[in-house]
Amino acid sequence: MSAQPRPSTLTAAETAEPRAGDIALPLWIIVLLFLLLYWGVVYFDQYSGGFSPEVYMPCRSTAELAMYQPPAGAPEFAGGKTVYENVCGLCHGTDGMGKPGQAPPFVNSEWALGNPNRMIRIPLAGLTGPIQVAGQQYNLAMPAMGAALPDDDLAAVLTYIRQSWGNKASAVTPEQVKAVRAEIGNRTQPWTAEQLNAIQ
Amino acid sequence: MNPNHPKSPFIIHNSSFNLPPSVAPDVIDASCRLPLVVLFLSAAVWLLTASAFGLIASIKFHAPGFLADSAWLTYGRVRPAAVNAMLYGFCLQAGLGVALWMLARLGRTTLAAPWMVIVGALCWNLGVAAGVVGILGGGSTGFENLEMPAYAAALVFLGYLMMAFWGVLTFHQRRERQLYVSQWFLFAALFWFPWIYSTANLVLQGFGARGMAQAVIAWWYSDNLLVVWLALVGLAAIFYFVPKLLNRELHSRYLALMAFWMLILFASWGGIPASAPVPAWMPTLSVVTTVLGVITVIAVFVNVFRTTGGKCLMRMSNPSLKFIGAGLASFVVVGFASAVTALPAVNQVTQFTWFTIGKGLLNFYGFFAMVIFGAIYYIVPQLMGQEFPFPKLVRAHFFTAALGVLLFAVPLAVGGIAQGLKLQHAVIFADIAKGTLPFLRASTVGDLMMALGHVMFLVNLGGLVFQFYRGRALSAWAEATAEIKTAEARP
Repeated sequence: MSAQPRPSTLTAAETAEPRAGDIALPLWIIVLLFLLLYWGVVYFDQYSGGFSPEVYMPCRSTAELAMYQPPAGAPEFAGGKTVYENVCGLCHGTDGMGKPGQAPPFVNSEWALGNPNRMIRIPLAGLTGPIQVAGQQYNLAMPAMGAALPDDDLAAVLTYIRQSWGNKASAVTPEQVKAVRAEIGNRTQPWTAEQLNAIQ
Repeated sequence: MNPNHPKSPFIIHNSSFNLPPSVAPDVIDASCRLPLVVLFLSAAVWLLTASAFGLIASIKFHAPGFLADSAWLTYGRVRPAAVNAMLYGFCLQAGLGVALWMLARLGRTTLAAPWMVIVGALCWNLGVAAGVVGILGGGSTGFENLEMPAYAAALVFLGYLMMAFWGVLTFHQRRERQLYVSQWFLFAALFWFPWIYSTANLVLQGFGARGMAQAVIAWWYSDNLLVVWLALVGLAAIFYFVPKLLNRELHSRYLALMAFWMLILFASWGGIPASAPVPAWMPTLSVVTTVLGVITVIAVFVNVFRTTGGKCLMRMSNPSLKFIGAGLASFVVVGFASAVTALPAVNQVTQFTWFTIGKGLLNFYGFFAMVIFGAIYYIVPQLMGQEFPFPKLVRAHFFTAALGVLLFAVPLAVGGIAQGLKLQHAVIFADIAKGTLPFLRASTVGDLMMALGHVMFLVNLGGLVFQFYRGRALSAWAEATAEIKTAEARP
């Protein structure tokens, strides 16, 4: 057909078409394959969520599952942070340190950490007049910021205040809030420090 | 009944199984010549086009104002245009050319209907051109690796069918009974692309899948094209050229068989990232099958290693073997990197970083393109019966290409890991993005080196084709204008 010489320098001279040898598979690659297959099946079993179309992030152990649950005992805590930042944080600060001369701090505050029956009353009707907080004298006119909040939200935000920024006081339950609301009725007159101190 | 009697049913009459005699290699090459010239030359032009677009996209990281006024050349269009020109213009087209030649040679038969292959190649190139212009004009579909608009996709699909059909027919007309390893891979590849391309396009554009299903289908398609199809053709070429050029037997047919079935059975499930917001079993299945891909890589590597007798292919004097050796090395690196980064703990760091981009480019340029260059540098002189006009450029191409691949892959991998680790404790996103700039600059140098290599490739290929057809035209002209000898005129 073609009279020209076959290429010789650049490419190898034309050779026969290749053939394959009949040497068997090495044993180690079969072992490796089965080890990987075994791993694959175990891995798939752990992470596949049983082929459920609703499982996006399967947990392998009860410990991992528990990690994603809200902390036990204070279910209102997380919601409390949101309420705090919307309602209280503007004056009392997102760090709970308050504003000098205007809003007292919650951190190490005897009012925030003390008797919950006194603390619950403050957001329900407000506070007025001179008050001693954490060694500082304040002259307040706090409106009834919490009067419109439902019982569980108010309980959540008070719990948040009592358990954040290093505070470690007992949680406030919605039942306690409900009881205090019932006691004070439809009072709109702000509390004074003396009135609050009289309450046990 | 005597079992040795000629009419005995126990005797297989060899004559009834006799195939027509093998066709001589010259005749096979002559039948492949024009279709392959069309395929390889257009592939080389697309390769350069892709490099040019890629470079424009790359420069935008250093000078965001560069060509920013032209809507056609914004990053969001130039980059997919570059990827599509590279994938469909070069990878699939050149891969098909090499596949058709190997099918004809291994079948010891001429290429069936070369003219139909040429028509198919023209249709394919028309489709790719329409697709790239469509992407630049804003008609991208928005699905990764499937950006070409529907009209272009239809042309591309038709062009593929027209070429692959004659490939299958060439396989059918083979005159050698025993199949060689590469034929399994090629035969599978011929059918694989129409399956995935039609499915992905019909489901995404025809039936209009919505929501997360779109992403899942696009991932599935990309994985099947970039991992399965490219590996099928690339490995077929490795298994063909390494023993052929060394004039040895391939070490083991069974190792190759293992690689083949691992690829077919497992590789097509991969591609869904571990953090994808889809039901957990999908990414988990992807992780398992991608890790199993390690077996494919090991089986291929051991097979070639034993065939060469442990010698490094990149240090052989034959330039085709150098290219193929570099391609095999990249294949091994990409395979292991894919397996490691599929694991959720690692994927969390590397996903959404330059590492993933670098790994993808290493698969295109490091593995597939290198193997195909090696194959073309062997095939084309065989087709033409002539040497390349600039043999030194072939070696120069190897060194620029190898250096270019190293220069983009290593910085992108290192930069990507650094970026991913910083993103774990993200402070200011923009600062982290800016921190990757030195790595991107280094990778642009790699891009430039590779583009230079592509120019050398096109010059040599175009030069040889020109030289061949010029010689033919001259001799035809000389024959036509030769004086008619009196003896012939008056018998």
